[in-house]
Amino acid sequence: MRVLLMIAAASAVLGSVAVAEEEDPFADAVEMRHGLMLQMATDLGKVGAMAKEETPYDAAVASKAAANIAAIASVLSMDQFPAGSEYQKATDSFALPAIWTAQDDFLQKIADLNSASGAFQTAAGTDLESLKAGMAGLGGACAACHKAYRQPEE
Amino acid sequence: MRIMRWLVVLGLVGAGGLYVLARPAPLAAAAVADLTGDAARGEQVFWASGCASCHAAEKAEGEAMLVLSGGQRFPSDFGTFIAPNISQDPEHGIGNWTMLDLANAITRGVSPEGEHYYPALPYASYAKMEMQDVADLYAFLKTLPADATPSQPHELGFPFSRRETIGVWKLMFLSKDWALPGNLTPTAARGRYIAEAMAHCGECHTPRNMLGGLDTSLWLGGAPNPSGEGRIPNITPAKLGWTAADIVQYLTTGFTPDYDSVGGHMVHVVENMARLPESDRQAVAEYLLAVPDVQ
Repeated sequence: MRVLLMIAAASAVLGSVAVAEEEDPFADAVEMRHGLMLQMATDLGKVGAMAKEETPYDAAVASKAAANIAAIASVLSMDQFPAGSEYQKATDSFALPAIWTAQDDFLQKIADLNSASGAFQTAAGTDLESLKAGMAGLGGACAACHKAYRQPEE
Repeated sequence: MRIMRWLVVLGLVGAGGLYVLARPAPLAAAAVADLTGDAARGEQVFWASGCASCHAAEKAEGEAMLVLSGGQRFPSDFGTFIAPNISQDPEHGIGNWTMLDLANAITRGVSPEGEHYYPALPYASYAKMEMQDVADLYAFLKTLPADATPSQPHELGFPFSRRETIGVWKLMFLSKDWALPGNLTPTAARGRYIAEAMAHCGECHTPRNMLGGLDTSLWLGGAPNPSGEGRIPNITPAKLGWTAADIVQYLTTGFTPDYDSVGGHMVHVVENMARLPESDRQAVAEYLLAVPDVQ
């Protein structure tokens, strides 16, 4: 009897885990892309503070942050955007369905970000004026994709 | 009975008076007669005023932003407005408009045919523009391409489908007064001119009353998104909580102080502001920090 109860309890636990996974098959993908964006924001914060002249310009710190931004850009692909991991279908997702219906353009925007972050890497290591000017191009690449493919938050 | 008859007469006189007052009121030809436009200066007016953000085709980017073929849809409580073609096509666009036609359209909301435009065209803001800026804008628009896409009619229900109603709206809400009145520093005054007369920030960031007029007592205090989803944020100083440097960086790069990036229709605004001289973005920042807080 006790054995039966334990089996029942164990299968109930396993069952609930299975249900939880079924409910949100995109949790990992959403977490992965949000994590990448958060690291991007952390590195942007370092160069952004220099652009605002809140911290002194430091070529080494700026170069490292810009290299990180370029590295994150190179990681972005459809790997983090499995079909269906979209706004109102996956928890915490703000990804618009156009990502999959206009996938070529979405991938072009990622390619544009890679070009912009490459150019920014050169600018960030040069001097403060170049860094400031480079921020606009980089921000433009971020915004172009967010305008077309991200649901605005409240 | 006799009183009833008098009431009817008075009512008719009142309606007639309102009808006369609410007629389209174009400018006198002298308003622009002596002006010559400078296309290079006009390009700055063009971006500051956000013309392409609404009149370029849906999803246009880069050079295509200069093809003002119209077609973008703007849902509202009154129906859906569809931006018309304002390219230089003489038939489908505004290619044969005079400078006076443009001045009437954007500062008075009156078409060359003498009809009211709906205030989806933000002439309640542009009414505060200097005529020289209108002349410069005219010169710049003349340099842009023609496109033969026909304009689509707005999709509005009665009574808003009647343009006479707009005349009454203008009587109530069309004003040349600044929302932030009084003497400002030259920098903040420049910012006020950009924000209130050209960039028309208040049109989305200020709540409207039941009749669709801006509630200037809650200037830039945030409002429901006219497209129905979410809210346009309160950008008065305490609520926004940004420094001047934060605002300048946002208007230059689209990065918030948390290094999230701008989204939605505001991307257009940042793209436009980023084309202005840095001093103009600093002016807007100084102006925004001078606006009274709305809770």
